[in-house]
Amino acid sequence: MTEIPSLVESLVLRHGSHLIAILEDIQEHHSYLPEDTLKQVAHRLEMPLRDVYGVATFYKSFRLTPRGEHLVSVCVGTACHVRGAQAIVAELASQLGIKPGETTCDKAFSLETVNCLGACAVGPVVVIDGKYFSKVKATNVKQILDDVSSGTDKTAIQEDKRVIPVQVNCPRCNHSFMDPNHPIDGHPSIRVTISFGPKHGWHRLSSLYGSYNFESEHHRPLGVVAHYFCPHCHTELIGVSECPECGTTMVPMIVRGGGIAQVCPRRGCRGHMLDV
Amino acid sequence: MGRIAFVEDFINYRQLILDETEENKPCLVISAGTCGQASGANDIMRISKRYILENNLHDQISLRITGCLGFCEMEPFILVEPNNTIYPKTKMEDVPGIIDASIAGRTLEEKICQEDGNNRGYCSLEEIPFFKNQRRTLLARNQKLDPIRILHYLRAGGYAAFEKVISNPDPDWIVSEITRSGLRGRGGAGFPTGKKWKLARETGNGFTRKFVVCNADEGDPGAYMDRSLLEGNPHSIIEGMIIAGIAIGASQGYVYVRNEYPLTIKHMLIALRQARDLGILGKGILGTNIDFDIEIIKGAGAFVCGEETALIRSIEGRIAQPVQRPPYPVEKGVWGCPTCINNAETLANVPVIISMGADEYAKVGTPNNRGTKIFSLVGKIRNTGLVEVPLGITIREVVYGIGGGPQDNKKVKAVQTGGPSGGCIPESMFDLPIDYESLAQAGSIMGSGGMIVMDETTCMVDIARYYTNFLQGESCGKCSTCREGIQRMNEILTNIAEGRGQLEDLALLEELGKVVREASLCGLGQTAPNPVLSTLRYFKDEYISHIVEKKCPAGVCKALIMYTIDADKCTGCGLCRKKCSQGAIEGEPKKPHSIAQDTCVTCGMCYELCTFNAVLKTNREG
Repeated sequence: MTEIPSLVESLVLRHGSHLIAILEDIQEHHSYLPEDTLKQVAHRLEMPLRDVYGVATFYKSFRLTPRGEHLVSVCVGTACHVRGAQAIVAELASQLGIKPGETTCDKAFSLETVNCLGACAVGPVVVIDGKYFSKVKATNVKQILDDVSSGTDKTAIQEDKRVIPVQVNCPRCNHSFMDPNHPIDGHPSIRVTISFGPKHGWHRLSSLYGSYNFESEHHRPLGVVAHYFCPHCHTELIGVSECPECGTTMVPMIVRGGGIAQVCPRRGCRGHMLDV
Repeated sequence: MGRIAFVEDFINYRQLILDETEENKPCLVISAGTCGQASGANDIMRISKRYILENNLHDQISLRITGCLGFCEMEPFILVEPNNTIYPKTKMEDVPGIIDASIAGRTLEEKICQEDGNNRGYCSLEEIPFFKNQRRTLLARNQKLDPIRILHYLRAGGYAAFEKVISNPDPDWIVSEITRSGLRGRGGAGFPTGKKWKLARETGNGFTRKFVVCNADEGDPGAYMDRSLLEGNPHSIIEGMIIAGIAIGASQGYVYVRNEYPLTIKHMLIALRQARDLGILGKGILGTNIDFDIEIIKGAGAFVCGEETALIRSIEGRIAQPVQRPPYPVEKGVWGCPTCINNAETLANVPVIISMGADEYAKVGTPNNRGTKIFSLVGKIRNTGLVEVPLGITIREVVYGIGGGPQDNKKVKAVQTGGPSGGCIPESMFDLPIDYESLAQAGSIMGSGGMIVMDETTCMVDIARYYTNFLQGESCGKCSTCREGIQRMNEILTNIAEGRGQLEDLALLEELGKVVREASLCGLGQTAPNPVLSTLRYFKDEYISHIVEKKCPAGVCKALIMYTIDADKCTGCGLCRKKCSQGAIEGEPKKPHSIAQDTCVTCGMCYELCTFNAVLKTNREG
């Protein structure tokens, strides 16, 4: 269990002594607050364990037991309540066989109630894995759970009109980046050159806006930022906008049809922008 | 744009942006705040981008993604500038047609907002009653900007107030302007903002560390005004906080935002980054000796953190138990330092006041209640959403003139304002003006802005029980009266709702309410009895009906109602039988079904499902 001390250490480096922020990040990492980690935190911050435990049990968003794979949160704020949120909670409890605050035996689902998500006009609201479902009725609960079990985002790419294939060019020399000889997701990929550390090589991205698939000559660890270049004129592609997710300066490409697409050069970051 | 080093350069830069000629093409505005996204706005965005790209239309139309515009009932919608035509509840397949029509300068008549009763559409936002009767000083700005682009905020006139202040920093003048404007705290208590800033300014000496805190905890269930401001126009709050910092002499600000608002946190982080990169946040702003920076602090799910002293404890990383006041936060707040805590909406009003001037601002509203207030009009109302109105407008004008009245031809019974600290105001009193004093006299409070409309299908006993149940879970536990008192009130209300109430309970509730109010340390306990006491005051007949007749007139309290099947109307389709999770419905195909009362848990699923109106909801007794 040597992983735990370094997590706590890195969080203290990031947050100083902001205990609540540290606990929130630990929960994001482990999906709950393990007892061992709480002890590490108390030790590292030189606080009595009872104070750390007190904070962990006082605030409702903290969990001391592991969570299921899918977190189902039902809003029970007043507006959702008058629109029948209790019936939704009851139906979910019935379908999953657990009460709010519990996790199913197979660890697939955890159910919780939340006091207000702020989407009051479109209530009753249920959030599963970050996806919001609005104007939920007890009668559609089963369908929603089935969709989540099978993966909410699984749609046939070919038929889904929301998936946009783009064709991009270099903002400097206007040469096309498209590589029809190496398709990804069934479409020509976007080929650029990247370098990070001593490594330098080709990098191909899916041209489907919304797909994060790619192939790369070299393996790049998560979190590493690379420099991106046009493979034709070799200019470095440096954008003017920052990634909305992580703040790194983005990589621009001109979109045929008019507009600019920008991607984040940080491995694993899904930040992107498409301006038309 | 690199970091600007001098005030003069900032003034020039801002002027440059304002001088840019506006593009002469229609603009497609898609509102994609949290509710927009929950209603499918992301799909509309994608399809729009795809259509524009595939057809090379970017010269002829532009696209702007904004935060919440308040018209939540109609999400997802597309608004087309310059005419401000609205296409409500847009479907993916409608998008190409809307884009083509907008480019051609046409309107798709059949898809725009329709006037009730007549066969006419509202051609622009300004004609729609929902908008026409509002005064959208703050909310209208959300339409003009993409929250994650600082350029949009600047182009819309943003940071003009900041420029005014940083060019000639005069804390006394700022404080006097805010005081003269009559701005009162929009978080609920309505304390005069200018007075708070004056006190904060005068505390300490020139070396004392001071803090500005934006209270974005917004714990009242049913209220989301602050969310729409922070998500949709984060720079307006940043601007307000910088001005506050200069006014009171603080160099550090915190935005305390509830963690149930992930999009808000994301947009605020982006906006802060952009402000720092531009040079308007940080050390030595624009070459002056003014330091001010802002950090985000996330909440962790505690309603009590909306209370000032609890919020301070939470920032300090402790259990959020309120403490005695005085000393007030302006004297002794975060880490013992003078702290000025303001609600997000209050701060959003600050740049408006500094820009237009206190006198102009004070022209809106009524004496002692100046300016506008945003309300979240939700519940049993046709047009749910965020509405911004001048203080002093009547409840009736908001519920009917803007809200469009009740859903489904039901009768409106009451509105609940002020969240768990507020009370219910019956329909008979809807001519009351919405101001701090009138609402308090009626047994409620202004609160942060939640306005929940209730109709004949809302049970007032259930509402009182709902709130005491909520508050019981959120009480920090310090004061016996709050901790035990609310719990007892909840138990009594549960008994009444489940048919075990006694008439003596009503007097006991009143007495408990009084004790909890008078002997609790903080606002949570002191206002906790309000929902109970106000429903007792105005809806005693419902309580008596539950107690004496064991009936729930609104048909809500599960223990008092039952579902039966009308054999004359039942076609034996079997849908209810198949969906019943308890197996409580029996019957053969094409023959009338029946519900076994012993097994039925009154979930109401069959009642919802039946398309023949064959399931009847009645009171168990009589």
